[in-house]
Amino acid sequence: MPELRGTTRGPVLTRWFGTENLHSLDVYEGLGGYGAMRKALTTMTHEQIVDEVKASGLRGRGGADFSTGVKWSLMPKESPLPMHLVVNADESEPGSAKDRYLMENSPHMLLEGIGIAAYAIRSHQAWIYIRGEYDLPFARLTEAIGEMRAKGYVGDKPFGADWPLDIRIFRGHGAYICGEEGALLESLEGKRAQPRAWKPPYPAQKGVWGRPTTVNNVETISTVPWIIENGAAAYAGFGTEKAKGTRMFTVSGHVQRPGNYEMEIGKTYRDLIEGLAGGALPGRTIKAWWPGGSSAPVMPGDLLDTTTDLDGIKDVANLKGHPIPPLNMGGRTFATMGGSGGVIVMDDRFCAVKAAHRLLQFYAHESCGKCTPCRVGGNWAVRAYEHILSGEGGPEDIAILDRVQEGLQGGRCLCGLGDAAGWVIASSLTHFRQEYEEHALRNFCSAEKAAVNA
Amino acid sequence: MPSLSEHVMEEIRALPPQFPDVRTAVMPALDLAQEELGYLTPEAMSEVATALNLDPGYVEGVATFYTLFHTEPVGKHRMYLCTNISCKLRGADELLEHAMRAVGVKDFEQVSSDGLFSVEAVECLGACEYAPVMRLDHAYHHDLTAGKIDALIAERRSPLPLREGQGEGPKPAAAVKAPRAPRKKKSDA
Amino acid sequence: MPDVNLTIDGRKVAVPAGTLVVEAAKKLGIEIPVFCYHHKLNYVGACRLCVVEISPGPPIARIACGTPVAEGMVVKTQTALAVEARADVLEFELVNHPLDCPVCDKGGECPLQDFTFRHGYPTSRIDGPRLHFKKPVPLSDKIALDRERCVLCYRCTRYYDEVAWEQELTTDERGVQSFITSQFDQPLQSIFSGNIIDLCPVGALTSRVWRFESRPWDMTHSETVCSRCAVGCGVTLWQRRGQLVRVTSHENDDIDEGWICDRGRFEYTDVNDPSRHRTPLVFGAKATWTDAISAIANGIKGKGARLGISLPQDITNEEAFLFRKLLDGPLKGAKVKMHGRTALAAPDGPTMRIKEIDDARVIVVVASDIEHDVPIVDLRVKKAVSKLGAKLIVVYPEGVDLDRHPGTVHVRNEPGSAAAEVRKLASHSLLQNPGGPVGILFGDGHGTEEVAELAAACADLAQKTGGKVMPLYRATNERGALAQGVAGWDRLDGVEALFSWGPPPTAGIPPSARFVAAWDHLPRDGYDRAVVLPAATFAERQGSYTNLEGTVQFLRPPVALRPPLREGWEVLAELAAALGLTLDYAGIMPIYQALSEQPPAPGPEATPVLIGPAHP
Repeated sequence: MPELRGTTRGPVLTRWFGTENLHSLDVYEGLGGYGAMRKALTTMTHEQIVDEVKASGLRGRGGADFSTGVKWSLMPKESPLPMHLVVNADESEPGSAKDRYLMENSPHMLLEGIGIAAYAIRSHQAWIYIRGEYDLPFARLTEAIGEMRAKGYVGDKPFGADWPLDIRIFRGHGAYICGEEGALLESLEGKRAQPRAWKPPYPAQKGVWGRPTTVNNVETISTVPWIIENGAAAYAGFGTEKAKGTRMFTVSGHVQRPGNYEMEIGKTYRDLIEGLAGGALPGRTIKAWWPGGSSAPVMPGDLLDTTTDLDGIKDVANLKGHPIPPLNMGGRTFATMGGSGGVIVMDDRFCAVKAAHRLLQFYAHESCGKCTPCRVGGNWAVRAYEHILSGEGGPEDIAILDRVQEGLQGGRCLCGLGDAAGWVIASSLTHFRQEYEEHALRNFCSAEKAAVNA
Repeated sequence: MPSLSEHVMEEIRALPPQFPDVRTAVMPALDLAQEELGYLTPEAMSEVATALNLDPGYVEGVATFYTLFHTEPVGKHRMYLCTNISCKLRGADELLEHAMRAVGVKDFEQVSSDGLFSVEAVECLGACEYAPVMRLDHAYHHDLTAGKIDALIAERRSPLPLREGQGEGPKPAAAVKAPRAPRKKKSDA
Repeated sequence: MPDVNLTIDGRKVAVPAGTLVVEAAKKLGIEIPVFCYHHKLNYVGACRLCVVEISPGPPIARIACGTPVAEGMVVKTQTALAVEARADVLEFELVNHPLDCPVCDKGGECPLQDFTFRHGYPTSRIDGPRLHFKKPVPLSDKIALDRERCVLCYRCTRYYDEVAWEQELTTDERGVQSFITSQFDQPLQSIFSGNIIDLCPVGALTSRVWRFESRPWDMTHSETVCSRCAVGCGVTLWQRRGQLVRVTSHENDDIDEGWICDRGRFEYTDVNDPSRHRTPLVFGAKATWTDAISAIANGIKGKGARLGISLPQDITNEEAFLFRKLLDGPLKGAKVKMHGRTALAAPDGPTMRIKEIDDARVIVVVASDIEHDVPIVDLRVKKAVSKLGAKLIVVYPEGVDLDRHPGTVHVRNEPGSAAAEVRKLASHSLLQNPGGPVGILFGDGHGTEEVAELAAACADLAQKTGGKVMPLYRATNERGALAQGVAGWDRLDGVEALFSWGPPPTAGIPPSARFVAAWDHLPRDGYDRAVVLPAATFAERQGSYTNLEGTVQFLRPPVALRPPLREGWEVLAELAAALGLTLDYAGIMPIYQALSEQPPAPGPEATPVLIGPAHP
């Protein structure tokens, strides 16, 4: 068993974490697990569950932040075709590891959530699309489904309810883009994972194999049993006025205690980074941090008091006098976002240009190649970064970066991957412009100099 | 001469009924082929395509899209080192260089002269709290150091048989793999 | 359904619901540039070039090719955002483009060139190394691929998968490293491969047959009809200095929907063959038309059944009309064999139209490998099945490309038993309640089936299911020749004299023929002992064809017929005169008029039932 790094005995998702063999059905059930699924399937209607989840204020934890209950209510009440729940377990966002943490430690929590969610949206077959690298979570889930089957929790009559249920696992094969809803469905259909351009129809109308489909993130679904068990009001008791509940954060990089932490929404990133994760390494100061995986625009180190409120974090007022980067999300400007909750921390000994270069390499490598701006723009930006870092760059390279970031944002790309690449450039270039100019104009890196001097 | 054994072909032919569409069976079928051959040859991809009533081009397009499919020979033990931001901040670049030097390869395509190892820098493996991280032989290895890498290499070079799924996680449960008929080695085919 | 009203750049337009913004703009003459969008392919949204701003909606770039019109919608193509976004995409496309326009065949008709000129930035900021691919790569002996010029619009691979149901052309790798390739670099096999050349919006896919032949502005073209089979697809023939240099598709939604097969596209170089006959020859020596024609008249006159006549598959209706008069007169009794025809008889009434295949809910294909017999009908069937949801039943002894669809019901009959299988189909579950029109397409099994019986069985099935039949003739003007009663199916062995029009009989010139007249455009073995008349080709000839569904289409030859070559009808009239028959017409149109006015023919002679090896 890998050492647990993160919250155990948290309020919702991690309440039983730290219990030995939590991944086995007996232990999980002994703690009270599967009570919610039993309750849902034997005493509640589809609509009641959807309404309960709506009332809880639960929102998609994969990064899109859309009301889970509302998403479920978009599914048709009747369909000549089978309907599917697809769980997005393709967690690949740099800096994000919380889905893995949940799946490998408490697979039954996810499976129980799937049982409830599938019933809520009138689906008899759920699919877990799990990234191919996740060997242990895959093994744990496979084992857990076997245990469920043995007990009849999946099968013809789970908990005696007349609702046949099947849960299948499909392994991904290495492509970040499969975390995008349409690309995931394409991949599940056995195709090259390129995002779908046609909306409408939305997945709820025409998803995988042309059938009505709901796609939810692992953490989102894992939260559902707690809500059904304790009620929407209890869940809504956590968090702020607008953003309810708790959520998982992965803290990684230059901190003393990297880990997966469950924290009430609305507390600050300082609570998370300096409190739970122990703060910066001795003798160093935090220069930059990404609030929600690499796709969330980077924030300067002195803004740790930003709250984790999912809407509030976007407010440019959070930048408190820092220049506002030219960021565009659906036509609106924003400061940064909560994203997938993968918090990456970087201190003053690391070069901001190199960090952005590495992230751009990632977006260029993971671009599916379907739409022009992302396919070409990401690669063009990587080459500009290389030129800058080689010491042979100049202001024209910074101009190219400026040009490319704009060309990637605001609906110009087919899916969010392109926007994210644009945000990486735009936010890094704005907040750390001085370092870019050092490299491009003077072939000098103050961060490296600081590291050498130390 | 077919490159995939009859056992594997039988398993592949049994895949399509498990899915609503035959194309969904392509990746599971390629898994089986890659497991047997180590990497996907054009012949193997064509055989998979024929078994699924698709053109080989379709299978080729899928196989080259995903990074976990290999269309060139790889080492028996492939080291996937995460070099993305969280691991990079904790020294992944130096570890990558170290690993490549230790097994004696110059790029990600090269296989070590004993055929045992190849190395690849990969994107985020989703275990950032344990950075730097490497995936090797279907298991993650945490808090990587040059010393840990050396030990993992030495273990695999030793003549002692390696336990399956060896790593810091538990051995995958028996339920993971359905029992499978004994398979001929490639050299017997 | 009532039209939807919207405003584009301040101008109002009404279009049917479901129309895409890009098409609505086209109606107003407003250009919204596109690469990936193609009106016959599914929407993909890949190139992002067609960016506009649309309200209501957020102030972001929206793609005109993926947005259906809505009532009251306001579209702006000239906002700063839209103009800049389009220019950005064009700049992105050029980041790795080799800019080798001076040696690119697409130059002059290249959307990338044209759009960059009209919508791109006036200056370039691209000053760095470009990505390189090996080039050019032969995809087959007909098609070359230049990956550096490719903009990855996926038109070619989408066409292959969606329209042709094949995946031998695919995309490998991903991201900026993605490239189009044939499977494992093997040559493309598909008979439909050439359409990707027409689809390509840049110079990535070019014809190796036309390669470096001419510039677009150096050619003239005319839209005409393909002469390669009975489907009658629209084609554009391009000529330069009297040479036929290129064949491209010409969209006719009633028949071909813009697709042509590789036979139609690439089999044209014989038109320019330098060894083509230009003057008549009598036993190898140049002769005048008058001398040669009188030599022929002497050789074939009064022979009755001892004269054999071989007719080309692409005889025009007008030529057939004149020839009928010869057969009724001086050449009465001669044995006639038409090239490439099926054993099918003339239809006894109207038959199903090709475009009606779209409406069919169930399609039955019997005794024909339609991929090779009538290729573009094959694509129409595929469209009906995969895009319009029709069910498909195939009755054929061997595997066919229609089997690629998982829903295809394939009845593998013993050769010769198709009629019996069709009769059994009446009780097939798919035909019990078809839910709409039924189409029954039948061939002749290349001589293996009893066609009269099969036609009757198909007609019965059509009657029971409320469907229509479509006999699948193969020879270009088989249906027209049948209507004129010249589409003979006689054996020519043993004849004393042979009048061979078009290529020689498939079985060769009968050894028994002591006199041979050949009317052909290419020299062939044995012509040194024949009287040879030079023939015009499909690129020069006037006249009309009747396609397999009965549509009459006129040829519009792009290449001028240069003397001493002569029109077929003129030669026939002169031959008739030499045989003592007056056929006095002033040109093609008067012949067509006479043809149209003639009372319905007494009917072609009954086609013999043929059982045996495939007949050419």
